[in-house]
Amino acid sequence: MARKLITMRNIIKRYYIGQPNELQILNGIDLDIHEGEFVAIVGASGSGKSTLMNMIGALDKPTEGSYFLNDTDVSRLNDKQLSEIRNKEIGFVFQTFNLIPRANALKNVELPMLYAGMKKRERQERALELLKLVDMQDRYTHKPNELSGGQKQRVAIARAMANDPSIILADEPTGALDSKTGHMVMDIFHRLHDEEGKTIVLITHSPELAAETERIITISDGSIISDTGKKKEKVSGEFIVSTSEHDLKDALIKAESEVKED
Amino acid sequence: MNLWENLKMALSSIFANKLRSLLTMIGIIIGICAVITITTLGTTLRSTITTTLNSLGSNLMSASATPRSESYYDSADIEWTYDDQIPYSMVEELMEKHPEIRVADENPVGGGYLKNSLDKQVNINLVGAYNGTLDQNGSRILAGRNISMQDVSDKKYTCIVSSIFVRQYFKNNEDPIGQTIKITNNDNGLAYEFTIVGVFNYNSLINGMLGNEENATTPIYIPNSIAREFQQQYGEERAFYWVLSYDPKTDGKAAKKIVREFFDAKYAANKNFKVAIYSNQDTMKIIDVVINVITVFVAVIASISLIVGGVGVMNIMLVSVTERTREIGIRKALGAKKSTIKLQFVTEAMIMCLIGGLIGLALGLFNGFLAGVIANLIVSNIPTAKQVLGTITMVPSPLAIVISIIFSMLTGVFFGYYPASKAAKMNPIDALRYD
Repeated sequence: MARKLITMRNIIKRYYIGQPNELQILNGIDLDIHEGEFVAIVGASGSGKSTLMNMIGALDKPTEGSYFLNDTDVSRLNDKQLSEIRNKEIGFVFQTFNLIPRANALKNVELPMLYAGMKKRERQERALELLKLVDMQDRYTHKPNELSGGQKQRVAIARAMANDPSIILADEPTGALDSKTGHMVMDIFHRLHDEEGKTIVLITHSPELAAETERIITISDGSIISDTGKKKEKVSGEFIVSTSEHDLKDALIKAESEVKED
Repeated sequence: MNLWENLKMALSSIFANKLRSLLTMIGIIIGICAVITITTLGTTLRSTITTTLNSLGSNLMSASATPRSESYYDSADIEWTYDDQIPYSMVEELMEKHPEIRVADENPVGGGYLKNSLDKQVNINLVGAYNGTLDQNGSRILAGRNISMQDVSDKKYTCIVSSIFVRQYFKNNEDPIGQTIKITNNDNGLAYEFTIVGVFNYNSLINGMLGNEENATTPIYIPNSIAREFQQQYGEERAFYWVLSYDPKTDGKAAKKIVREFFDAKYAANKNFKVAIYSNQDTMKIIDVVINVITVFVAVIASISLIVGGVGVMNIMLVSVTERTREIGIRKALGAKKSTIKLQFVTEAMIMCLIGGLIGLALGLFNGFLAGVIANLIVSNIPTAKQVLGTITMVPSPLAIVISIIFSMLTGVFFGYYPASKAAKMNPIDALRYD
């Protein structure tokens, strides 16, 4: 069994603490993610999945509860240490790509390595390698506004891989793309997962996308209402729980095909 | 994150908004330009005055026998006797002990006229000189040579005459060098022949000129030792007041000290009188201080525009931070620390001010250069001024350049700090969501 990467116990997040409009977004989340998993976190808008993502990505700290990432208690870290966690342990992929507009593709991929203090030559070599991985090596001098949406997202994925993070955290990575390019991007995630053994956490509201993954965690009103991974470590098809019949069917088909491939 | 990467990042964002950056810099540009222009004018004024005063003899000092009492009423009772005066022998002793000290103002040992071959009268003064005399009178040798120390010590009957004298005395284009002039002492009827060894330009602005050039009286310099001999026919020369000069190569303070100590010893026994030494360097020092104070004062006033410029930079940096909220969010998500973000924006503000400062410096130096050209144009149209000032060279103040560049960078750091902290403090989640 793979090593435990994320251990969340009773994570509670409240906003406006002590004020009349105090708001509890997460109501005691317990979550374990192992190395090499491809997990989808699904939920409707306002369900708390974005807050959970921020928590996993060390962008935010829980009000209560503990979060261990790679044996580090993230809930106890200060701002500077959180920055280091984001830099080295997490690779973010955003819906809106979030590339630095003034920097070309290469510079964008280099940025996390720059913050990690890597030397220029090393940085450039790795950035080129990563761009090759996402098939963007020919356009490394292009600025984001000279790239299509799918190309931008591929650069963003390369950037997320820069410091070889423990987790790739993708927030609606295909949300701004048409279905064809969306599939292309998803293919890259699958490749990273299958070939590089990357742990990928995909946040989405789309059941179709979620169904492509090994494990689906569904969040509603700040609580996990279903988690396919709790019942089975490796997908074999029979224990998949999904929110809709349609998804279930897709997931089953997917699972079957994987079994066949195996 | 190394400094070089930071600089590159700052430059790229400054050049991404060229017009805006330039407009932001204008305050700094004007401020630094004004400071550099003013300090350049100040240092040039100072150096011009110094050079001019030097050409009039900055290496001069006076030794005057004055009553020991500072109070006017006490000194009113003191009798000023012949014995209290400083005798030439004492000065001569000083000169022998310290060759760098010389008597500067030689009084004419005689005056009168010479007749040339056309029986025309040419007015002259006979003045004892040594080879440093010309420098003190703002004159220089035009042809031939100056009176040498050899001439003085060997008591050679040589002389140098003014260019005016040459025009008055000699016929057209006659070479005066090597010619002899005969000078008669009317008191004893003895005649002396002096060989002209050199011609100097007579500086009428400094030494004065009576009448027009046709019949002006100019000095003929003869070796000091010979002049003394003429003088001694009337007894030893004594005076309450001597003007001394020192070799420009020696330190003014040291020379002054030598002279003071010499006369202090000589006048130790004199109850009523002492010898006060006052050097031209003292005057120069006062002028120096005055010009410096004025320059600094005006430069400080000019640098107020730097504050205005700094506020402009701060304003734009705040706008820039707001505009780039999302970028800041991205950077934070990618692992930029607060300090990294802060450094990035402070560097940007600093570089912006530095570039503004450098442009201002260039403009300021150009202004100074332009002022120099204009000043020279004016001076060259006033012959007397040109004679004294020559060509004015603009002298930028290196200290002012260094200080103003450092100050412009500090302005950037100071006014960039608040926007940078604002950027650093941003919550990455909110920043990422910002549209």
